[in-house]
Amino acid sequence: MYESRGGYRAVRKALKMTPDEVVAEVKKANLRGRGGAGFPAGVKWGFLPKDRTTTLLCVNADESEPPTFSNRVLMEDDPHQLLEGTIITGYATQAQVAYIYMRVEFHEQFHILQKAIDEAYAAGYLGKKIFGSDYSLECYLHRGAGAYVCGEETGLIESLEGRRGWPRIKPPFPAVEGAFRRPTVVNNVETLSCVPHIIERGADWFAGIGPPHSTGPKLFCISGPVSKPGCYEAAMEITVGELIERDDMGGGMLPGRKVKAVFPGGVSMGALTADELDMKMDFVDPGNYGLLGLGTAAAMVVDQDTDMRMVLRNVARFFGTESCGQCTHCREGTAWMYRIATRMEEGAGRIEDLDILLETARNMGMMPGLSICGLPDGATFPIETIVKKFRSELEEAIRAQAPGRVEAVLSAVN
Amino acid sequence: MPKIIIDNHQIECRDGIPVLQAALEAGFDVPHYCYHPSLSVVASCRLCLMEMKMPHPKTQEMVWSPKLVPSCQTPVRDGMEVRFKSEAVTKNQKACMEFFLLNHPLDCPVCDQAGECYLQDYSYHFGDAESRMVDQKLVNPKKDIGPGTLLYQDRCVMCTRCVRFTAEISGTHELCMVHRGSRTEIDVFPGLPLDNPLQGNVVDVCPVGSMLDKDFLFKRRVWELSGTPSICPGCATGCSIRIDHVDNRVYRLKPRYSPKVNDRWMCDEGRFGFKYVHEPKRISSPIVRRGLERTTPSWEQLPEIVRFRFQKHVSGNGADRVAAMLSPFMACEEAWLLIRFIRGVAPEAALAMGPVPAEGEDQHFPVGAAGQAVKFTIFAEKCPNRRGIEMLLRAVGGATLTFEEFVEQSGKGEFSAAWVVGGYPKPWVEKDTAKIAANIELLVVQDIFDSGLVAGAAIVLPARAWVEREGSFVSAAGLVQPFERAIATPDGGRHDGQYLYEIAGYEGLFSAERVREMMAESISAFREIYEAPVLPAHTH
Repeated sequence: MYESRGGYRAVRKALKMTPDEVVAEVKKANLRGRGGAGFPAGVKWGFLPKDRTTTLLCVNADESEPPTFSNRVLMEDDPHQLLEGTIITGYATQAQVAYIYMRVEFHEQFHILQKAIDEAYAAGYLGKKIFGSDYSLECYLHRGAGAYVCGEETGLIESLEGRRGWPRIKPPFPAVEGAFRRPTVVNNVETLSCVPHIIERGADWFAGIGPPHSTGPKLFCISGPVSKPGCYEAAMEITVGELIERDDMGGGMLPGRKVKAVFPGGVSMGALTADELDMKMDFVDPGNYGLLGLGTAAAMVVDQDTDMRMVLRNVARFFGTESCGQCTHCREGTAWMYRIATRMEEGAGRIEDLDILLETARNMGMMPGLSICGLPDGATFPIETIVKKFRSELEEAIRAQAPGRVEAVLSAVN
Repeated sequence: MPKIIIDNHQIECRDGIPVLQAALEAGFDVPHYCYHPSLSVVASCRLCLMEMKMPHPKTQEMVWSPKLVPSCQTPVRDGMEVRFKSEAVTKNQKACMEFFLLNHPLDCPVCDQAGECYLQDYSYHFGDAESRMVDQKLVNPKKDIGPGTLLYQDRCVMCTRCVRFTAEISGTHELCMVHRGSRTEIDVFPGLPLDNPLQGNVVDVCPVGSMLDKDFLFKRRVWELSGTPSICPGCATGCSIRIDHVDNRVYRLKPRYSPKVNDRWMCDEGRFGFKYVHEPKRISSPIVRRGLERTTPSWEQLPEIVRFRFQKHVSGNGADRVAAMLSPFMACEEAWLLIRFIRGVAPEAALAMGPVPAEGEDQHFPVGAAGQAVKFTIFAEKCPNRRGIEMLLRAVGGATLTFEEFVEQSGKGEFSAAWVVGGYPKPWVEKDTAKIAANIELLVVQDIFDSGLVAGAAIVLPARAWVEREGSFVSAAGLVQPFERAIATPDGGRHDGQYLYEIAGYEGLFSAERVREMMAESISAFREIYEAPVLPAHTH
C-alpha cells in the first residue's frame, strides 16, 4: 500500500547517492529535530567521528511528553514511512543497526510497527544488502519500561543497554560514545519521517515550507476542550490561536468554553495565557513568550472553568514522579514543588508558597541547567509560567481559603 | 604538570585528574558527595559545580562557560581558570543544601555519623538554620541489608557511592537503586543481602549516616574517639588503618588511604578482627615458675630474672642448646631485640619462626573480573610480618630452623633452653608443639592466650595485642610499615617492645623509631620505611 503511493522511492534514490550527499541534503533542508530540542538533524549526524568502524542508530519512539501523540499517529498510520526514513538515515550515517526504542504503553503500535518491520525484512528492505545495494541494516524494535526520562537520548541509551534509565554525563556525547560504547545517533520518529520527503522532493522543497529557521511541515497535536482534538500537519508559521480556531484544525472551542491557558509545546515548555495566542508555533517565537521552546508542538488547552491550582498540581505531580532521582536539584525540587502544589489545591496554600515555587524553579537551574539532563528545565518552566502568568488567580484562590485551614493542615504535619 | 587558576590562586596539579581533585589536593574545601577518587564519576550530586573558563568548542578560545560545570567531571587542562567562591557557585551550594535537607530527618542526636557527617558539615557551611519545607517529610524506610550493615534510607543523599563500590571494587553487585525521583532508594535484591568480604567499606564511603556498621552502632559518639594510625595485622596485605579508641578500648578500625597498598579500603576480616584484644582471658602479667612455686615478678625485677636464669642455664648446660622461636605477629623491632638477647647469651643459639597461619587462597577484588586490574587483595597468609621476620633471620644469619624442625628437635630434647613467642589471635599450639615443654628445661613462652605450652613454661611473658605495641611490619609487597601504639595494656604493664628492650640490656623507654635506627645500621632494609600520605581533612 505504502509503496503503491510512492513509498520506498526515496530510499532507492538515496542509496544511489553517497552517504555524505544525503547528509548534505538534509543539512541544506535545515531539518530540525522534532523531538523537542530542535537540534538540526544533519549537524547531529556530522558529529560522528570520521574514523568510526561501527555506528548505531536509535529511533526515539518513547513519546511521553504530555499531551503529545504525533509519533503515535505516525507509527500507527504510516509505519513504513518511519522505516524508510530509518533506512535512509542509517545509510547516511553508515549505521549497521537501528534500534527503535518504543515506550511500553504503545501496545497496538508495537504490533503495527513490528509487522511493518517484518514486511520490510521479507521484501529485502531491511537486513543484508538492502535493495540490492551493498548497504546492510538490521532493525530491532525495543520496548521501554515506562519512564519519561528514557526519552532523553542518553537515558534512552542506558535503558536500551538494559540498565536503569539514568541519563549519562556528557561528554562523551552519544555521537562519539553512545549505545554499547559505539558512536550513536538518536533521532525522533517525526524527524526521521521527514527524511524520505527531503530526499525525494529535494532540500529546496522542504526548506521552502515555513520560515527559514523552522523549515518543513510539522505535526501539531491539539487536545483539551476544543471541537476537533487531534493531530494536524501545517507549516511552522501558524499561531496557537489558529491551531485552536481553524476549521481544518481544532475547530474552535467547545460551546460555552473559553481559553484560559494553553500549553503549546507539551507541558514542559510552559503555559500561555488567553492573551498570548498570537504566538507562532516555530522554533523561535516561544522564547519571546517566556517558554522553553517549541517542544513537541502539542497544544493542550485549559478552559475557563479549570482551577489553575489543579493544573499546577497535575503538572508538578508528573515531573515529581518522572524525575529519575539522579541529580539533587531535580530529585528533591520536583517532589517539593509537587507537595506545595498539592497543599495549595487542598485549600491550604500560602502566598509565600508562590514565591517558594518560583525560587525553587530557579534554584533547580532553568536554562542553562544545573543537572545532567534537561528534565528539570522542563519541570520548572510550566511551574514558573503558571505561577507568574496566573499569579493573581492563584493569590485570589489562596485568599478565598477557609480561615485557619493553613494552620490546621500544617499543625497536623508538624 | 598542568597549571590551573582557582579563585586567583595558581596551582600545579597532576595530569588528567578532575578539577575537583586538584582543588582538594590544593587545600580548597570544595563540597562534594558523589565524587570519590577511587570510584567512577557520576556527577549527580551537583554540589561541586564551578564557574570555568574553558576552550570554546568551535573557536578553542578560552571563554567562561555559560553554565556551572561539575568540577568532578572536568579534567584539568593547562591554563584553565576556575571560580569556586563566586556568587553563582555559592548560590548553587545553598540551593543544593536546601534540597538535601528537605526530607532529611533531624536525628543527628541519635545518628552514628554525627561528628563525621558531611551533610552536617556542609549544612553548617552553606545551609540555612530554618527549613522552608513545611509539609510532611518523605520518610523512606530503614532496612537491614546484610549481616554487617543497616541502611537508613531517610538519611541518604543518593550519591550512589555504595552502589558503585559493590560494582567497581568488590565486584559483587549487591546494591542497586530502585524507584524513581525522591522515592529512589538504595536496596539489595530479594534474597541477596550485602554480604561480601569488603562490605564494611560501604559504611566508610557513605558521606552521611545512611550506611551504618552494625558492629559500631550506638556504641560511641565519634567525637569521643581518638584515632591512631596503624597497620592491620589480619593478613600479609598490611592495610593502613586507623584505630578509633577511647578509655583504653578499641571501638572500630577504619582504613587509611595508602596508594601503594590498600587504596582506601580494608576487608571485614581485618575491620572486625580486633575483638580478641578485649578478651578477658588474656595473659596479663608475667609468671615465673620454680618447681611448684609460682610467682609474679614486678616489671622492674623481670629483666634481671630472665637474664639471670638464661645466663645461669647457659653456663651450666653450654651455649649450643639454646633456641628461640619468633612469631610472624611480632614487630621487626621486637624480634630484633629478642635476637640480640638470645644471641647475646648464646651466640650459637638456633632461631626459628613460628607457624604461618593460612586460610584458603588469596582473594582478589573485584571478583569475577578476569583480566581487570586487581584493586584489592586479601591474602591467605593471616599474619602481618612473615617477611619482616624472614628478613631479620637472613640478616643475622647463624643457625636457623623451620618451625617443624624446631618442634621436632625440641621434641627430641635437643634444646635445654628455648624462648617461644606466640601472639597469635587464634589458638596455635597443637599437641606436638605442647609436648616440647616437657623436654625443655628453661622454657620462656611469650603469648597472648593460655595454651599447653604456657602451662609448661618456666617463665610466661604476656604478649600484647598490636594495638598496645609499636613497631613495624613488612607487608607482602615488601614495604616496612610502622604502626603506633593506640591503647595501654589491660593491666597497665609493659608491652613486648619495652620488656624486650630491657631484657636485651637497654635502659629507659623503648622507642620503635630508635630501635629501627639501630637496626638500620646493620640491616639496610630498615633504612627505608613506608608511611601512607596524610590526606587533607576535607577529603572523604
